[in-house]
Amino acid sequence: MTVSADDSLHDSGRPAPTARLFAALRLLRATAAGRIVGLALLVAVLALLSVYPLSMLLYGSLHSTPPGMAGTFNLDGYRDILTRENSITLVNTVGISLAKTVPSLALAVLLAWILARTDTPCRGALEVLVTLPFFIPPILTAMAWGMLGNPQVGLLNQLYQAITGSSAAPINVYSYGGVVWHMMQYSVPFLFLLIVDAFRAMDPSLEEAARMCGASRLRTFRTITLQLMLPALTGGAILSFIRGIENFESPLFFGAPAGIHVITTDIYDSINQRSPPQYQYATAVSFVIMALLFLIVLVQWRLLRGRSFATVSGKGYSPGIVRLGPWRWVTFAVCMLFFIVTVVLPVGQLLIGSFFKFFGFYQWDMLTFEHYEAVFGSSEFWRGFGNTMLLGLIGASATMVLGGLVAYISVRTKWRGRSLIDAMAWLPWMMPGIVLGVGFLWGFALLPRAIPIYGTIWALLLAYISLGTPLSVRVMSSAYAQLSFDIEECSRVHGASWLTTMWRIVIALSWPSFVVGWVLVFFGIMRELSASVLLYSIGSEVLSVVLLKLWVNGNAEQVSVIGLMMMVMVILFRWVQLGFTRRHLGTL
Amino acid sequence: MSNVVLEKVSRTFGEFAAVSGVDLRVNEGEFVTLLGPSGCGKTTTLRMVAGLEQNTGGRISIGGRVVSDAARDLFVPAEHRALGMVFQSYAIWPHMSVFDNVAYPLRVRRVGRSDMRRRVLEALQLVEMADYADRPAPALSGGQQQRVAIARALVFEPALLLLDEPLSNLDARLRAQMGSEFRALQKRLGITSLYVTHDQEEAMALSDRVVVMQAGRVLQIGAPEDIYQRPASRDVANFFGSPNLLPATVVSCARLSDADFALSVRGSAWEGTCHAGEARAVGAEVLVLVRPESMRLAEGTAPATGALSGRVVQSSFHGARRAVTVEVHGSLMHAEVPATASLSEQVTFTIDEKAAWALSA
Ligand SMILES: Nc1ncnc2c1ncn2[C@@H]1O[C@H](COP(=O)(O)OP(=O)(O)OP(=O)(O)O)[C@@H](O)[C@H]1O
Ligand SMILES: [Mg+2]
Repeated sequence: MTVSADDSLHDSGRPAPTARLFAALRLLRATAAGRIVGLALLVAVLALLSVYPLSMLLYGSLHSTPPGMAGTFNLDGYRDILTRENSITLVNTVGISLAKTVPSLALAVLLAWILARTDTPCRGALEVLVTLPFFIPPILTAMAWGMLGNPQVGLLNQLYQAITGSSAAPINVYSYGGVVWHMMQYSVPFLFLLIVDAFRAMDPSLEEAARMCGASRLRTFRTITLQLMLPALTGGAILSFIRGIENFESPLFFGAPAGIHVITTDIYDSINQRSPPQYQYATAVSFVIMALLFLIVLVQWRLLRGRSFATVSGKGYSPGIVRLGPWRWVTFAVCMLFFIVTVVLPVGQLLIGSFFKFFGFYQWDMLTFEHYEAVFGSSEFWRGFGNTMLLGLIGASATMVLGGLVAYISVRTKWRGRSLIDAMAWLPWMMPGIVLGVGFLWGFALLPRAIPIYGTIWALLLAYISLGTPLSVRVMSSAYAQLSFDIEECSRVHGASWLTTMWRIVIALSWPSFVVGWVLVFFGIMRELSASVLLYSIGSEVLSVVLLKLWVNGNAEQVSVIGLMMMVMVILFRWVQLGFTRRHLGTL
Repeated sequence: MSNVVLEKVSRTFGEFAAVSGVDLRVNEGEFVTLLGPSGCGKTTTLRMVAGLEQNTGGRISIGGRVVSDAARDLFVPAEHRALGMVFQSYAIWPHMSVFDNVAYPLRVRRVGRSDMRRRVLEALQLVEMADYADRPAPALSGGQQQRVAIARALVFEPALLLLDEPLSNLDARLRAQMGSEFRALQKRLGITSLYVTHDQEEAMALSDRVVVMQAGRVLQIGAPEDIYQRPASRDVANFFGSPNLLPATVVSCARLSDADFALSVRGSAWEGTCHAGEARAVGAEVLVLVRPESMRLAEGTAPATGALSGRVVQSSFHGARRAVTVEVHGSLMHAEVPATASLSEQVTFTIDEKAAWALSA
């Protein structure tokens, strides 16, 4: 929006002679052959990353045999979807996602209100703590909660039994509740991050006007604050709902053992757990989930069209801070409790689990370092660690460069075809990791034998870049949108070439966003499980796959050790990122 | 009877005193303006009256009822004070129509449907916005939003209307028009108004009385003419335009009435007579305030007694008049002359002694 406003200003406000000069410059740019080649290359790369796997999904869903084998084309895959079990799977998918979105939204609004609009002590630190769970790979908390809430030997149940003396085990994470609960740990901070700025930036006089009209605080909150936030809240809720449908870890860890299936785990199972693997069926289901997501996105567009209010005040006022008196310690406790439950408990479990001989038997004489020795002595761990690091570094860099290019073209040029490029880069956003994994499985199998990419870590790299591109485009777009066009054109008028301008001005001004985006993409790669688990093969396992294998083999103790180390890495990265953002961008 | 009374009202933010010891009485039906430079505490004062900010010292009463008393820890919050307020940013709720915006205070007060409709339309008619009742609020221009904000503040017939720089977001022409329209409306309804602005012309044109503030304190309270022509201090005098302050010594002092004394003074460049608000001892040092428009261009070149002559160093055209800066004995003086006057390099001025005013040096 800012961009189009800039455009019109920039086109109408310039005096005629310079306008002619710039028109000439543009023409020059438009006829350059190099640009066309570059654009074609970019389109090809994006096509490989998004259109190719997508069209392979269509191909695969009609193909009767697994990838790479001769077969016929039929609709069996789609026919197999129409079963009673699958309607339950669909209801589960939608129901679980709804069941986690609604309470998450309520909690996120409460946290955003506490941290943006009240005088709760240590708000800055609390904000960092409350959003931390979002950055922890879900596989880690899933395993930690699998141990904490285990109905037989879980620490929480042991504690409950020790305190009450009863032998009942009230907590069982292997249930609908467990799936919803695990998803909530991610959707609460996710929604919080989406809405907190809307709370913070709201013009306080909109609320004060209501109070002057005689409305109580509560009525003001209900009829003004919440109503004004409604577009932001709806948008956030729909995004969170989509993520719930795409979610893989929570239903895999807590649903599957209890016989609760959702679409993503159904895809996974039909490839990894059935013999022979039902590729055609899995691919057809992938197509169905994409259709579902597409529908939701359409609804979102319709709902939110023209429904965002410019409530931000021009004045640099801080919004009205509510003085809570002694209640501010209650709100403080609410935030701390959220942090303790979502971070301290799982990390604590991993810590404890890593030092005891057997998971579930916590006695002093069971203390041991042997799991650390086992992990550090295991070549599989080091290979996974190396692969994750390598893929993270290369993947994040490549993704950000690609995203930077796409964002530059779509935000700062008037080139024809820029919306095509933007759309192609956005496409993977609608593809859950597991679906993209299936698409790439087919795609790699159909490549000529001279390109032996399947089974190498480069297969994973392609999937990671594809998954990360929408995020990188978004980060870089907003960075570019903030740069005024004049800066760039001024530099070019003063004789700098396009490349020099790019390098000196554009990159110099947007590199902090690049770094922030880089870290986010790196986080994304480190946590990725659903595409990795389909695309890895022996030798190209990443850490999350190593963890999953250990977990499936019942080695909860070594899982704890590795999990703990990943957790330390995440917290370190987040800390560096926060410090960097504060210094260079002035905001969180 | 006083409608609003502020007694020794203060407000501190941490160590910083934003408002200190403000005393003010606003009478029934009066239009009082708080005027002062940016950051002097006008908004804070207004918000304390509104109940949006709690005073850390002093007492505020509205209509005879104490609404806030720091000593007794008494504080009536904004929603229970039943005051109308117009915000600088208008604060029109974008998710409601014009009608719903104005109806909000009545909904809060559970006014019946038909009664509410009538009163909302009446209020919109007052500000000539009745035709816009069904518009969504974001589809209004700044001036229209301002009218709706005034209608919303008036619809429940509050005893007091508070306005915080309501015109500052409008362009100059609309500002003047809205200002005089609002003043006419205020007089017609007889509603007590407390108005904040940092624009002196606006303050003088609209108000019954002006409160000049600086650094959280009240410098002077008085009718616009008094504040302008008979300021209590140099700071107040300096606040309006670019006054000339001539150092002089009192030669004689005669009492004309209780608060009006005629002085005859002698300065290095000039001697003549002026007025003062209090008796001055002979030989006392004073500063004589001469507004630029009280400087009269003298005909001819022969300097009359009590005249000043000097060299024109700057002259700028302002349409109806011309602002001239003249160097007299090494110091610069400002004068305003008719735009048609012909100026030579050397000019002579006489001073309108009825408008000359003595301040403490
Ligand atoms: N919430 C606050 N915390 C700390 N200081 C404040 C706060 N609100 C106001 N101040 C300070 O109090 C002083 C007076 O502020 P106020 O808003 O009343 O000024 P004003 O006269 O309305 O100025 P302006 O004409 O710019 O609106 C300012 O120095 C301001 O920085
Ligand atoms: Mg103010």
